[in-house]
Amino acid sequence: MKKSLPRLDSKFVVITISVLLLLYFIVLPLLVLIYDSLFIDGVFDISNYKDVYGKKVNWRALTNTVQLSLIVMVASVIVTFPLAWLVGRTDLPGKKTFRTILVASYMIPPYVGAIAWVQLLNPSVGYLNDFFKFIFGLSKAPFDIYTMGGLAWVLTLFYSPFAFITISRAMEKMDPTLEEAARISGSSPLKTLWDVTLPLMMPSIVAGGLLVFIAAASCFGIPAIVGMPGNIEVMTTRIVTFLYMGDDKGIRDATALAVSMMIVANGLLMFMSWMLSHKDYTTISGKSTRPNMVELGKWKWPAFAVVAGYAFIAVILPLTSIVVTSFLVSMSKGLALDNFGIDAWIPVITSSQYMESVWRSIGYGIVAACIGTVLALFVAYLSVKTNVTGRSIPDLLVVLGGATPSIVIALALIITFSGNYGLNLYSTMWILIVSYLVKYMTMSVRTIAASLSQVHISLEEAALSSGASWIRTCKDIIMPLVAPSIVAGWFLIFMPSFYELTMSNLLYGSDTKSLGVLLYELQTYADTQNASVLSVIILLIVLIGNIILNKVTKGKVSI
Amino acid sequence: MAELKLHHIYKRFGNVTAVGDFNIDVADGEFISFLGPSGCGKTTTLRLIAGFEKPTEGIITIGGTEISNAEKGVFLAPEKRGIGMVFQSYAVWPHMNVVDNVGYPLKIQNVSKEERLQRVMKMLELVHLKEYAERFPNQLSGGQQQRVALARALVAQPSLLLLDEPLSNLDAKLRESMRFEISAIQKELGITVIYVTHDQSEAMTMSDRIVVMSMGKVQQIGRPYEIYTQPANQMVADFIGLVNFIPATAKGDRIFVNGHETLSFPNPKKLAGDAVIAVRPENITISKTGGMVEGVMNHRFYMGDSVDYRVKVKDQIIRVIQKGAVYGTYHDGETVYLDFDNVMSFAKEE
Ligand SMILES: Nc1ncnc2c1ncn2[C@@H]1O[C@H](COP(=O)(O)OP(=O)(O)OP(=O)(O)O)[C@@H](O)[C@H]1O
Ligand SMILES: [Mg+2]
Repeated sequence: MKKSLPRLDSKFVVITISVLLLLYFIVLPLLVLIYDSLFIDGVFDISNYKDVYGKKVNWRALTNTVQLSLIVMVASVIVTFPLAWLVGRTDLPGKKTFRTILVASYMIPPYVGAIAWVQLLNPSVGYLNDFFKFIFGLSKAPFDIYTMGGLAWVLTLFYSPFAFITISRAMEKMDPTLEEAARISGSSPLKTLWDVTLPLMMPSIVAGGLLVFIAAASCFGIPAIVGMPGNIEVMTTRIVTFLYMGDDKGIRDATALAVSMMIVANGLLMFMSWMLSHKDYTTISGKSTRPNMVELGKWKWPAFAVVAGYAFIAVILPLTSIVVTSFLVSMSKGLALDNFGIDAWIPVITSSQYMESVWRSIGYGIVAACIGTVLALFVAYLSVKTNVTGRSIPDLLVVLGGATPSIVIALALIITFSGNYGLNLYSTMWILIVSYLVKYMTMSVRTIAASLSQVHISLEEAALSSGASWIRTCKDIIMPLVAPSIVAGWFLIFMPSFYELTMSNLLYGSDTKSLGVLLYELQTYADTQNASVLSVIILLIVLIGNIILNKVTKGKVSI
Repeated sequence: MAELKLHHIYKRFGNVTAVGDFNIDVADGEFISFLGPSGCGKTTTLRLIAGFEKPTEGIITIGGTEISNAEKGVFLAPEKRGIGMVFQSYAVWPHMNVVDNVGYPLKIQNVSKEERLQRVMKMLELVHLKEYAERFPNQLSGGQQQRVALARALVAQPSLLLLDEPLSNLDAKLRESMRFEISAIQKELGITVIYVTHDQSEAMTMSDRIVVMSMGKVQQIGRPYEIYTQPANQMVADFIGLVNFIPATAKGDRIFVNGHETLSFPNPKKLAGDAVIAVRPENITISKTGGMVEGVMNHRFYMGDSVDYRVKVKDQIIRVIQKGAVYGTYHDGETVYLDFDNVMSFAKEE
């Protein structure tokens, strides 16, 4: 055993460093946040909570959040389950394309979706409202986006992919002979769906639903753009409002709200992982059989029409709206052939202020992705490939960060890293980068861990026994094999960081304004056209990123 | 009554022919095995009968009723066929306990709760699972799950039962005892059974008739004894039991072993040209003094109840199995003589 000591040593150093880093940047801020919400000048005092929830606006924001998130959750599951079934288990024409389109809406930044729907359905000049007015000869716009209904609509369209991905994955994993056994027992296809498919899928449906609930409740961009103009406040917008006040009282009120959010979000996620580990039926399967595709028969084309209609409304319509708006010469002249041109693009592309933000965000994304990938690699290696005690602690810490709502992370970082706990990162680019890392490293760790677990230990042992050190082994043997997942992990941090809004909006300083923040400001100042141009730029970069990701991972991972 | 008829059944997946021209008449109460190597189309045929696949061509009837006719577009859904089936993966529902699993087909038929429970318990008794009634599948062993699947397939008293390699995941001992249990249950209930397997001893011991399949084609249908002693072709002879193939040439009413011009056997099949002589290892006798051919002892394997010899004749190794032989009778390198009995002959296959 003596001989292997040096290898243990370097491992130990790496583990210690990564655990310390994660403790300092993830756990400490959250603890400080909780502490600050419960202690005033070092004395335990829950008056923060009493104060905050004693005020009607806050209480109203809480009930709005819960109400909205519940509606969005239920609507997402109701819409997604049949979609996942049609795409995964039937002979629906063009199902591969639909799958790609439905998953793709996951990569559109939510606030871009919000901007698009404001363009389509705002009561004064919304494209769709105008269209309906024209077609049906209405005197008044039929829809108003600035309502609870409008908010629920946009949230559902942009967060249902969470449910879709979870549910359709489970559906693909389910042993189809379980359904066939019901059929041969005398049960009709519909009854089989009810008696066998639904109960077996229930854990995944609940999990998908909870993911949507948490995402909708933690979202800032959509409620800020769609809710605020109609004076609809939710928890995230309240927290931001309190922070804008800038005084101690405002911050304390914000912490109380943030801690409540964190507890609910992390609690729900813990419940979810407990449930999935205890009740996940979908992986039970003997010798696997080819899934038997249900023949839709005469329902084939009606089903196609429904799915195509959904894909059109959820993805194609909003994207088209953004692109078209960016190419209008004058917003006031509306959709006319002679009103198209690149006039709106030129000031944006030539504006040094705008382009600086674009490059800055790309830069921050790159820095965050590089640091995050290295860390993720160590964390994943540790939890998958070693049997050191506590090997999964770093992994858990990373998951904790990812599970915490963005707004909570941002607030925790503000109060922790303004000098009281060693570092003062206030208004620097590093506080932004730390926030991106805390929030987005988890996906990267998952991806890399999945591919590491497929690298057989004997490959490593072969290298070690031929005299290579542990670090050397990583470099020569493991890296080349897991390289595609590392590239994927890199993009999984880069892309959401690059267009991040919620945290950047609270953490940026005068020299660190990111693209997301700039876009949000343009939208709030009603400069829809410039906002559209920047949105198209974001979408293009995300699209290119996804194409690279697809090439590198051969379609196995994408945002 | 469940006579099952398959009439010119074809199933193609794209340009793969999984089943090609399958014909069989199964009598009521008969136990039929489908036997063949992996990928030969056994499961596909079973799924065609169950109604999970539509035949590309052909007609299937159960008890005289057409349930599937490709030309006429007749196709009865699986739930309307009144068939019991045990899947290769058991397919026991993990979210229901044993009683609910077994009782499900009765529930679909709206059988009253009391009667349901009574019939379920009777089935569980039959498969020796009475004490496990309240358990969930994840608390059962593979063999117990398999018996739950069997009970579920039988509870509605189907007249036709389909079994897809139901014993393949069990250990040797359990497999043996389940084999007899299935046979006993089938006799007791008098149902027609189609049993898919790639284990020849399973097929031999349980079946009234065996269908030997290869590459989507039926090679032979017959009683176990016929299949073993009169295989229809080289593939069947090779797949069922052990066999030595010796190249030969047929001329007139004799078949001459290549390289042994004086050694010939009768030619009942009236073959001509290139042929193959086939003889099973236990149908060869070995001696030190004289026989049809001379060879050299190459290897001996002691098997307890028998000795398995490899004898080199010219440049071919011939396998000989002698029941109750003594290991030390021969030694390697010794010259020995072989006599062939029950010799079979086939046209040469590629
Ligand atoms: N849905 C399908 N699509 C395409 N090819 C199929 C499909 N189902 C079966 N096949 C092909 O048909 C052939 C027969 O398959 P089948 O499952 O019937 O074999 P089997 O005899 O049951 O084999 P095993 O002993 O391995 O279970 C195989 O070549 C298989 O690849
Ligand atoms: Mg099979």
